[in-house]
Amino acid sequence: MMTKQVRYEALVKALHGDLYRYAYWLTHEKQVAEDLVQETFLRAWRALDSLKDEKAAKSWLITILRRENARRFERKRFDMSEYEEATITDTKSVTTEQELENHWLRDKISQLPPEYSEPLVLQVLGGFSGEDIATMLDLNKNTVMTRLFRARNQLKEALEAEPVKRGIYNG
Amino acid sequence: MDDLQFRRAIYADPNNQDADTIAAQQQDPSKKQFAKEICQLDERIRQALHVPVPDDLCNKLILRQTLASHQVHKRRTRVHLALAASVAIVGGLMLNFMQFSSAYSNLGDYALAHVYHEQGSITNNASNQVTLASLNKKMAAFDGNFSQSLGKLLFADYCRFDGMKSLHLVYQGRTSPVTVFVVPKNDQLSFTNSFNDKQFFGSSIEFNNSNIIVVADKNESLGQWQQNISETVSWSI
Repeated sequence: MMTKQVRYEALVKALHGDLYRYAYWLTHEKQVAEDLVQETFLRAWRALDSLKDEKAAKSWLITILRRENARRFERKRFDMSEYEEATITDTKSVTTEQELENHWLRDKISQLPPEYSEPLVLQVLGGFSGEDIATMLDLNKNTVMTRLFRARNQLKEALEAEPVKRGIYNG
Repeated sequence: MDDLQFRRAIYADPNNQDADTIAAQQQDPSKKQFAKEICQLDERIRQALHVPVPDDLCNKLILRQTLASHQVHKRRTRVHLALAASVAIVGGLMLNFMQFSSAYSNLGDYALAHVYHEQGSITNNASNQVTLASLNKKMAAFDGNFSQSLGKLLFADYCRFDGMKSLHLVYQGRTSPVTVFVVPKNDQLSFTNSFNDKQFFGSSIEFNNSNIIVVADKNESLGQWQQNISETVSWSI
């Protein structure tokens, strides 16, 4: 009992940050992201005995979170396009120049087709390898690598195309 | 490695540690520059995605799990309690069943067991004798009567014959006491006409409301005893 508790707490401490960020990226809302992470960890607690390899903990949790997120959509259907979702994210807390740029870049990532942005987020945020992402998203590795390539390529083009517009935000 | 291949590799994974891509970067400064740019882009993406995590989230997660598992624990103790109660009930029933149901299935087995149990407590040459009158007084409980004595009656008293009130008579026999049971009829023990083991043999006589069982060692003539009993006993209605 106690060892399970210790394991769980270690898991929470080590991974709740990454999970929250991933959830935030999926939901674009702080509160929803928090709920999602809570739900995920609760499920993780119940199934903790099935986690044999601690190294796989992160991808295991991400998989639970993705499933949990999908359930959220089963429960209540949001009819929002990707673009709208991106624009309703917070503009309130944006203060510093760095924040502005981060916000702008987040928008850009959100505007990527989800099949491109998802592997990118998993790679950058989760630090997963191409193989890991392929298993998580149920794709083959070459597809994942192609999508990563396209995602970065599009982001780079967007960055190069809009230096002026970013100035408007700054002003 | 050509340029397109290199770009694809770097775009797909800027931290690519393949020998090929590293070699290509070392050979071509422009490739190295490109890799660096993409790494910078990645760093910016990382920063953009690195939203602040609520301070209390970690504690909330632990708290919520603690509460949830506490509830599960409580539910489990209730289940345990119910289980323990069920086991106690089943145990009680079993005990009840074992205590009040007979371990012997027929009259003969029980009679033999009873005789073995009493063996030694009454010797064949004991001096005390029970009179016919006091025997008949006891027989009255079974609505029975002996017209004359069957022999020297050493002992006569009520006893429990498999939980039933019955009359236990011990007569002097040729070499060892002869035991006679007067037992009310009941369904629990099946009637056995005659029975025996290494030391004893016995027979049962069936009357209207009672059975009379004679158990003696093998030197006795059971037939004689049976006949004597049948002739002397009478039952009032």
